[in-house]
Amino acid sequence: MRQGAAGVIEMDSESQRRFEDLALPHLKSLYGYAMKLTGNAAVAEDLVQETFLKALQAFPTLRNSLHIRPWLFQILSRLAIDRHRTENREVATEAFEDLDRFSLYDLIGQDDPFPYSDRLHDDFVAQFRDEEVRDALRGLPEAYRVPLVLLYTEEMSYRELAEVLGCPVGTVMSRLHRGRKILERELWECAKRRGLVKTWTPPND
Amino acid sequence: MDTTKRLSCDDTVRQFFAYLDRALTGEPLEALEAHLHACLDCCEKLEFSRKLDAFVRDRLGDEPLPERIEERIRRRIRG
Repeated sequence: MRQGAAGVIEMDSESQRRFEDLALPHLKSLYGYAMKLTGNAAVAEDLVQETFLKALQAFPTLRNSLHIRPWLFQILSRLAIDRHRTENREVATEAFEDLDRFSLYDLIGQDDPFPYSDRLHDDFVAQFRDEEVRDALRGLPEAYRVPLVLLYTEEMSYRELAEVLGCPVGTVMSRLHRGRKILERELWECAKRRGLVKTWTPPND
Repeated sequence: MDTTKRLSCDDTVRQFFAYLDRALTGEPLEALEAHLHACLDCCEKLEFSRKLDAFVRDRLGDEPLPERIEERIRRRIRG
């Protein structure tokens, strides 16, 4: 590796090959992750390409090659979050108290869509199609979706997630809690759209 | 001593996901488990959260790689 005329670090072919050997085996997982985040093949591939480019540039700073997998996921996650930040997408401005009070469990019990079922909650959940669940997940703002998808697919610990997101563990904990609450709300909205429940509205406190 | 008094149902529900994700340890974990031992309602809600979480996880599925994506990436990173 050497410093080029413009100050840009240039890779020799040996480093380049080493990078490809270490990074490309994670392509399938990274693409799967990008698809879960975006739901769009072209956008997902673009995100993955950007990730590999950025990782290649930063490869000299990777101290331990055993850490390449979480490192690649970190780069992709931050790219995904930044992308939407620059698009000025609204990030969870709703009142957190309302969200904290939202309970899909209680709503199902109150609506009682299967009066004769002794497995009411299970029967309710079983109605959702795969694509509806994925759409509901994609309804989450990136700051919530990213840690949740990483938790589901990579089974990262809260500490690892904190490292990926560059935030304290407490923030990870609240994002994972609220992310799931938003997901519950999205599923409830989906059930209402499909007419799976009566459009019961909670009384004002 | 009535251990359910130490943690309210609301506080318990707020920690469900951290509990399911095995992120609770020490005193917070003990307090939550003590509450669950004494509160059937919270146990049922926790069971629902556990099942819903597993349901969502199972539905995410695997994505097939687009054809020749590796080739395109190699080309791009080699400039």
